[in-house]
Amino acid sequence: MATVATTKTYARRRTANSVMMTLCVLAAGIGLIWLFVILFQLLWRGVAGLSLDVFTQMTPPPGEAGGLLNPIAGSLLLTGLAVLIGAPIGILAGTYMAEYGRHTRLTTVVRFINDILLSAPSIIIGLFVYEVMVVGMGHFSGIAGVMALALIVLPVVVRTTEDMLLLVPDALREAGTAVGAPRWVVIRSVAYKAALAGIVTGVLLAIARISGETAPLLFTALSNQFWSLNLNAPVASLPVTIFQFALSPYEEWQQLAWTGALIITFAVLALSIVARVLAARGESR
Amino acid sequence: MMQMTKPDEIVMTETKQAASRAKIEVKNLNFYYGETRALKNISLSLPERSVTAFIGPSGCGKSTLLRVMNRIYELYPKQRAEGEVLLDGENILDRSQDLNLLRAKIGMVFQKPTPFPMTIYENIAFGVRLYEKLSKAEVDMRVEKALRRAALWEEVKDKLDTSGLGLSGGQQQRLCIARTVAVQPEVILFDEPCSALDPISTAKIEELIDELQEEYTIVIVTHNMQQAARVSRQTAFMYLGELIEFSDTQTIFTSPRETRTQDYITGRFG
Repeated sequence: MATVATTKTYARRRTANSVMMTLCVLAAGIGLIWLFVILFQLLWRGVAGLSLDVFTQMTPPPGEAGGLLNPIAGSLLLTGLAVLIGAPIGILAGTYMAEYGRHTRLTTVVRFINDILLSAPSIIIGLFVYEVMVVGMGHFSGIAGVMALALIVLPVVVRTTEDMLLLVPDALREAGTAVGAPRWVVIRSVAYKAALAGIVTGVLLAIARISGETAPLLFTALSNQFWSLNLNAPVASLPVTIFQFALSPYEEWQQLAWTGALIITFAVLALSIVARVLAARGESR
Repeated sequence: MMQMTKPDEIVMTETKQAASRAKIEVKNLNFYYGETRALKNISLSLPERSVTAFIGPSGCGKSTLLRVMNRIYELYPKQRAEGEVLLDGENILDRSQDLNLLRAKIGMVFQKPTPFPMTIYENIAFGVRLYEKLSKAEVDMRVEKALRRAALWEEVKDKLDTSGLGLSGGQQQRLCIARTVAVQPEVILFDEPCSALDPISTAKIEELIDELQEEYTIVIVTHNMQQAARVSRQTAFMYLGELIEFSDTQTIFTSPRETRTQDYITGRFG
């Protein structure tokens, strides 16, 4: 350390270190700035239109005041049903892959296909459901929208369920088995309990993902200017309404689009926070 | 080991051994991990209500032998056993054997404490409720009895509804013993139960094993030769998948028949 050579090397390392550090901080800053610009813009423009009317009035015709009640209700309906269909199937499939069929070829194949589905563009899924359901039924419908969203939920839940169950140590399964519990009891009472926070997080992330999806709904549920929760007819949803209103030349509609975007963003943010808290609690146990 | 050197003790041990019948009889057992043969023609019989220790260097097959006795190896593919393991004269390797009932009869405590992710109470009630329809009061009683049996009651009686994962390592291991005892098995298998514990917790577990042999047939796998000497009546020395020597603990540790046994217990290898 005391020799001139080592001091020089040391000084050079320190300089290199601070240069790299500065670059890293800059890169992180540049990434974050845009996020904040978007959020700020969203808050600024969205809050201006926020009022009780947004949650109690229907979408208006051009040039009139109104709210977003039908798309909000429609989004809740479509998202809720999609999760009710997609999550149980996903959890069961993930359970098969991690528990019963861990060493089988079927699991390898399913995992591979599931990964493809996971990264498939959502518009493809929309087109698929359009071909299968909308064309078949002859009209756009809420149920087609639900199916499209469920298809997006499915791979997310399959993946997280399998991953979380694989994190449960085998020693715990052996312990459950060793007291005489049948396999399904071990899975239900021991493995699920140990992986619960992770599985719930996966479902919440899937909800967050589909609440902003527009493309698959454009081809399936379409939209509806009026109050309708009829699954056999077009159903309004927030993302599609935002898409439609934001592109329109009418000021009232544009304002509602901003407000709708704000509502989705904060709903998703709230869900992510809940997911994070659940995951953290699961880890600390 | 010290206590066993008293002459009257030896006599007592031997008569007791002669009196007690075989609880488990292993006959020509071979075990395979895929193509690898991990156990080679093992035959031995374990007396009832007594502690038998399996010792030997790592990879000698002692844990494998233990894991055959409740067929827990069946959780994994490509593992299979050939031969006979008789529990009270009935071959448990038989295809018709109900595995869940077998495991309720032959409990197991593992190397690392493995409490379930539930409350202390539920950890024990879980196994009890599997095979018996009991009222809340009866389950309460069984939980308390099991925790007392595992010398844990005094430490946890005020926090039964907290997570079992909050206990110390030694307490967790006693919780696992309580959980095993609560199902009222006939045999308890211990797979290196103290290797993750400190000396004080180890002493407690050993004391417990000593008490438990009044009611249960106990098999313990251990790396620690002093432990085998302290807790067991019979010791089996295994090496490379073979049973080298099986005799009462006293004999194994003072005058082993085989030189390999002697080399191992004197620390020349392993």
